[in-house]
Amino acid sequence: MFHNKSVKYAFLTMMTLAASGSVSAQAQTIKMVMSPPAVETNRYWNTPGDFGLGPSMQGLIGHNPETGIYDNSGLAESWSHNDAFTEWTFKLKPEAEFHFGWGPVTAADVIHSLKLHTGPDTTLNGITQLEGAVATAEDDHTVKFTLPKPQVDFLFVHGGRGSLVIYSKAQYDKEGLEGYDAKPAGTAELQYVERNIGQGLTFEKVDNHWSGNEVAFDRLELQFIKEPATTLAKILSKEADIVMMPRELQRDAMDAGFKAVSSTNASNQATMLFNGTYLIPGDEALDKTLPWLDIRIREAINRSIDREVVNDVIYNGGATVLPVFGMDPRHEGYVPELAERFEEAYGYDLDKARALMKEAGYPEKFSNPVIPILSTVIAGSSEWPAMAELMQVFLDEVGFQTELVEMDWSNFSGMRRTRTAKMFHPMRNLPVKPSAVGIRNYYSALGRPKSNYEDPVIEELMAKYVDSIDPAERDELAGGIFTQVFEQYAVVPLSSISTVVIVNPETVSEWVFPGVTSVGVSHFPLIKPAK
Amino acid sequence: MLGLIVRRFFHMLISLLAITVVVFSLSHLTGSPIDALLPDDATPQQIENLTKHLGLDRPYYVQYLTFMQNAVVGDFGDSTKWKGNTAVQVVLQRLPATLQLGGLAVLISVVIAIPLGVLAAVKKNTIFDSVASGIALLGQSLPVFWLGIVLVWIFSVLLGWFPTSGYGGLSHMILPAIAMAWFQIAALTRLTRSAMLEVLDAEYIKLARVKGVRDNVVIWKHAFRNAAIVPITYFGVLAGSLLTGSVVIETVFAWPGTGLLAIDAIRGRDFPVVQSVVMFFAVFYLVANFLVDVLYAAIDPRIRQS
Repeated sequence: MFHNKSVKYAFLTMMTLAASGSVSAQAQTIKMVMSPPAVETNRYWNTPGDFGLGPSMQGLIGHNPETGIYDNSGLAESWSHNDAFTEWTFKLKPEAEFHFGWGPVTAADVIHSLKLHTGPDTTLNGITQLEGAVATAEDDHTVKFTLPKPQVDFLFVHGGRGSLVIYSKAQYDKEGLEGYDAKPAGTAELQYVERNIGQGLTFEKVDNHWSGNEVAFDRLELQFIKEPATTLAKILSKEADIVMMPRELQRDAMDAGFKAVSSTNASNQATMLFNGTYLIPGDEALDKTLPWLDIRIREAINRSIDREVVNDVIYNGGATVLPVFGMDPRHEGYVPELAERFEEAYGYDLDKARALMKEAGYPEKFSNPVIPILSTVIAGSSEWPAMAELMQVFLDEVGFQTELVEMDWSNFSGMRRTRTAKMFHPMRNLPVKPSAVGIRNYYSALGRPKSNYEDPVIEELMAKYVDSIDPAERDELAGGIFTQVFEQYAVVPLSSISTVVIVNPETVSEWVFPGVTSVGVSHFPLIKPAK
Repeated sequence: MLGLIVRRFFHMLISLLAITVVVFSLSHLTGSPIDALLPDDATPQQIENLTKHLGLDRPYYVQYLTFMQNAVVGDFGDSTKWKGNTAVQVVLQRLPATLQLGGLAVLISVVIAIPLGVLAAVKKNTIFDSVASGIALLGQSLPVFWLGIVLVWIFSVLLGWFPTSGYGGLSHMILPAIAMAWFQIAALTRLTRSAMLEVLDAEYIKLARVKGVRDNVVIWKHAFRNAAIVPITYFGVLAGSLLTGSVVIETVFAWPGTGLLAIDAIRGRDFPVVQSVVMFFAVFYLVANFLVDVLYAAIDPRIRQS
């Protein structure tokens, strides 16, 4: 048939290539590049919440991919609570099953998981919401949580950024923690294949998944790459289908024909905090020399910052101005008037800023007029050093004396733990948390030791807020706290931001995710490969 | 010779003991793992629980003695950043990647630098010498991270010849190995050149030439053999620095080796991994230098006899 050897080889080569092409079309792998998580482990309770096993494991509650609102796409089909919000009962889906034949999901698995997540080695963010919680099985598929205090926001614990992921008790009983380390059984549409330390994770789709949902690809590879330039090279060379990378590099990828896909809702809020503003009388941690203890200085700093420039320089034009850090229209206490008044009260106005500084007697009347600005890096917020430098430019321009302090975030956390972090520093609210959680973390003595701003008015409102179970009253109290934060210029609210991923349109056509997890992305089964 | 080996080995053990103190002290000076592990909203109770769980509430000397007691049997404890793995497991998982990359980089360095250095010395003040000096200058002045990114940009993104990054076969190793070897080629070329120039000027070389010994024999048998002591001495440093100096390259090329591991562990305050990886580096350095000392003595009889 083939008289010429080279023609024969060429034909065989073409056949081989065609065969390999059809194989790759049948078995499509989506390759996604992201920063390495802070802790690489299969044990969720040993992470701060940036969990790599999001594609394979679930909590009790899911989220609508468009709105981010809690829904029953998790392991519970329904839930209810008593009038006092101290008992929450979840009905589990009877058809829900663990991977690898570890059986149905039962109340015993939930109780077992709660025990793991609240043990002495837990490092989970938000675990305080589970403190003192007791889970009991009403029957095989009904579990009741009894809480020591009312918790109106208890669903947050079980959602995308929650503190409770459901592990198989049957697997634990047979294999122990080593079983989870080797091959943890989850319940989602994708199941665990392998973890390569320092490199990433691989998942594959579960055929005939109990939910009836179909995944349109066969495998998902999460690759961990720390260096942003390498991540950019990965998408430009089309080695990756989806990448998460700093905003300043996204434009390069988009100019080369790649597409940006945003979360359907804001997933993050950015601010600068005046740490050490402890205004509750008698607080020994208060350093009375801090220049920002004077509200005029806090206002002047706020008015020195051009938020449009912040949006352009730091967020590539993809952010919106944030009126109050912690406040969000999706949660309790949203006060639209504050958003309307923002320009008038916080607008960029150097003359006003200078007048306020003069009125406060800055710098002559201040024994310590220098504003130390923290420059640091934290996983998932690579823009922070640029943010610190930009803040210094704004403050220098108006006449503040500043000092850029470079410090490792962990060391700074140590200072926050001892309430000695007297700096002007960046902070994020990722994902945007319920108001009660945000207020506790950033504005209340309840968030000690790492709170940064405290005042008696907020404490009084907060005391009522945490005890209240009346939705209208809670909304009013949270609104009151946000108004106080706004009026007191307690922080420098900056931006409300969505999570943006860059995709190769030749391989990925669509992905809808609501921005409700601490890495910003979720709903992996909704990734649609291009035809 | 045996006395020298015993003496050097004893020195090595003392150094190792000193290193354990330094490693333990420095890792604790970098801060507490509590601050790296616990989230922002950690309660005082959570902080206390984890402090006790990690044994950080005990006095430093107790922690050091426990560390030493366990380290002797190769147990550095459980990793706090890579939970579910012991520190040694984590290091051993990442070690092959570093050894592969380092090995290839050493090979590239030696294969290029030694002939280049010899050529530059033999053809002193010619175009060959100028090219070698140019390479040495570029090698020592181009930042490694910059070179790595440029290599990726040209050979992966524009030409598509090699993968951009990640762990894999030879094709994945070529760019990072070249980037890694670049500086060492420069250093080794200069050392070889200067050592060769010194030897080529010696009386016995002139005598060999006068006696009509062929040029190749003069250069490689008589001259290089004596000049090799200098590059061999550097070889211990080279091998060690290719291991420990791989941090930048491993970051740029997402190569999952021990260099990147060390940085991640330090940032994550993972004391067990920091201690085991640094101890590994230290042992590697000490063994490499021990072998160089032995080799040095084997080559140079004056050292054996002294």
